[in-house]
Amino acid sequence: MSLIELQGISRVYGSGPTAVHALRPATLQVEEGTFVAIYGASGSGKSTMLNMLGLLDEPTAGSYLLEGRNVANLSDMDRSSIRCRKIGIIFQSFNLFPHFSILENVCMPMRFAGAERHEMKERAAHLLDRVGLGDRLRHSPSQLSGGQCQRVAIARALANNPAVLLGDEPTGNLDEKTGDEIIGIFHELVAEGRTVVMVTHNAEYEKQVQRVIELHDGNVVRQ
Amino acid sequence: MSFIYNIESTWLSLKHHAFRSLLAMLGVVLGVAAVVGMLAVSEGAKRESIERIEQQGVDNIIIHSEKPNANETGGENIFFYGVTREDLIHFGTVFDNIKRVVPVVGLRQTVYVDGRPSDIALVGTKPDFMTVTRSENADPRGRWLSDADSAMASMVCVVGVEAARQLFGLADPLGKAVSVYGATFQVIGLMENPLLTKVAGKYDINNMIFVDYETLLSIFNRDFMAVEADYVYVQVDDLDYLKNTADRIRTYLEESHELPDYTISVPYELLLAEQATQRVFTVVMGSIAAISLLVGGIGIMNIMLANIYERTKEIGTLRALGAPRRTILIQFLFEAVALTGLGGVLGVGIGFLIALLIKHTADMPTIVTPGSVIVALTVSVFTGILFGTHPAWKAASLSPIEALRR
Repeated sequence: MSLIELQGISRVYGSGPTAVHALRPATLQVEEGTFVAIYGASGSGKSTMLNMLGLLDEPTAGSYLLEGRNVANLSDMDRSSIRCRKIGIIFQSFNLFPHFSILENVCMPMRFAGAERHEMKERAAHLLDRVGLGDRLRHSPSQLSGGQCQRVAIARALANNPAVLLGDEPTGNLDEKTGDEIIGIFHELVAEGRTVVMVTHNAEYEKQVQRVIELHDGNVVRQ
Repeated sequence: MSFIYNIESTWLSLKHHAFRSLLAMLGVVLGVAAVVGMLAVSEGAKRESIERIEQQGVDNIIIHSEKPNANETGGENIFFYGVTREDLIHFGTVFDNIKRVVPVVGLRQTVYVDGRPSDIALVGTKPDFMTVTRSENADPRGRWLSDADSAMASMVCVVGVEAARQLFGLADPLGKAVSVYGATFQVIGLMENPLLTKVAGKYDINNMIFVDYETLLSIFNRDFMAVEADYVYVQVDDLDYLKNTADRIRTYLEESHELPDYTISVPYELLLAEQATQRVFTVVMGSIAAISLLVGGIGIMNIMLANIYERTKEIGTLRALGAPRRTILIQFLFEAVALTGLGGVLGVGIGFLIALLIKHTADMPTIVTPGSVIVALTVSVFTGILFGTHPAWKAASLSPIEALRR
């Protein structure tokens, strides 16, 4: 059984002649422990696909099986619960909470999962240590560099030990060297058996991932 | 999502937008302060007027002799007027529901102590005066006037504590003599009215000299006295029939007196009227409070909507991390309630200061009751819930993708 299985999933915005087919019916599988890049130009539908995978948006048609369970049309509560426990999302502009320390930032998804306070802090500290920020737990995001912020975002995405990590252009705001460091962390996570799906428009990363899903005008043209 | 997180998150949000939060709170702060201040003034005035009325005894009917004016007498100048001894006897013997009839008559003559004149009033009254005015014996060595004094026409008097201080200073007043127009009365006791009651709401009981009513009238005939009773306290048995008794007295006096040379006041009715006035005042206050809190609430809603617009991306991120709509709703509602609740607390504090300021500058009694504080705080929290729900619902209704895109 594949970790992720999309069956004829599509997303159309609006209706009638002005309808925008952001994602045309797509069918694909992603196996556990793989590093996948969703590649395409701007407007190709790659972000729409990532939003579907992250349960941030609902498909117009089709089904989405995550660990064998169809999660395409669940209630908000159930979708939130799956996003919290099964999916870790990393954003291009990090999306850290500026008023909280980085330790608190990493604790956030664990709060939604109902973890105990001391447990959260312990795990958050461990994750931050793992991404090389163990000595900066009390720092606020504004005191860190872009690369460090993205490391915090990775630690936060790993907080509830999710089945899949989704990255929306995670290196888009970073310089090449820092971007490579982040990709390096993804490689380490994949080596541990995690699944990473990353959206990118940078062709350079094609060689660094195990599989590329390419989109063009909302159609999957390569997988 | 834990309660502690909501507190932390709210605190950080308020701290980060301290000035904006303060401005948002200002409406509620001023509204609550005004309400607490005004209620304190209202309560102070209410207590004062009710105390004043209660001092006259809620079970009393007070009849006051009044000289009719020239219009009422048809231009004729009259010397004698007011409630007569016959009236008093009639009240005491014919009427039912009457427990005591206590006349008070003032002798309008200067009193002397050791040859020194004084303007302290000398009044004649009955032994029951002590009971109807809730006065006390201030010196255990002395005593109050008795029926025996009346029967024997004893030349004795009792002085109020304030009158004693003025007449005798630090000297022991017991046994001393008080003279008035050739008659000398020996001081047999000291009386004190702890309620600081005033006779008919005007004259301080503690600053009077009391002699027996019958004795006074037997010494000073009608050449001296225009009235046989300046005031009459009629104490009733059953408060339920107070109005009925007052009405019967009124009818009797209307029939037996040719001229309107009396007025009747019923402290209990005044008390009821006062309470009714206070209720109207409270409704007016409540309306003002409602309007000021409405304005404050709109301010809060405005700020909360601006907050949500500014924090849309944050909401999107929280949703992406797994926060359900309910969590977002609670978080923003919590912030609104914290703003109004904190505004309420500050408002109560400022309200206290306003009450103190009014008390000391305008010399008006003010009382901040726990009830008004509880009401103010409850209403301010309720304002937060009322005006915070719409913005919080709006925030919670954002889809994650919609929020992240902004």
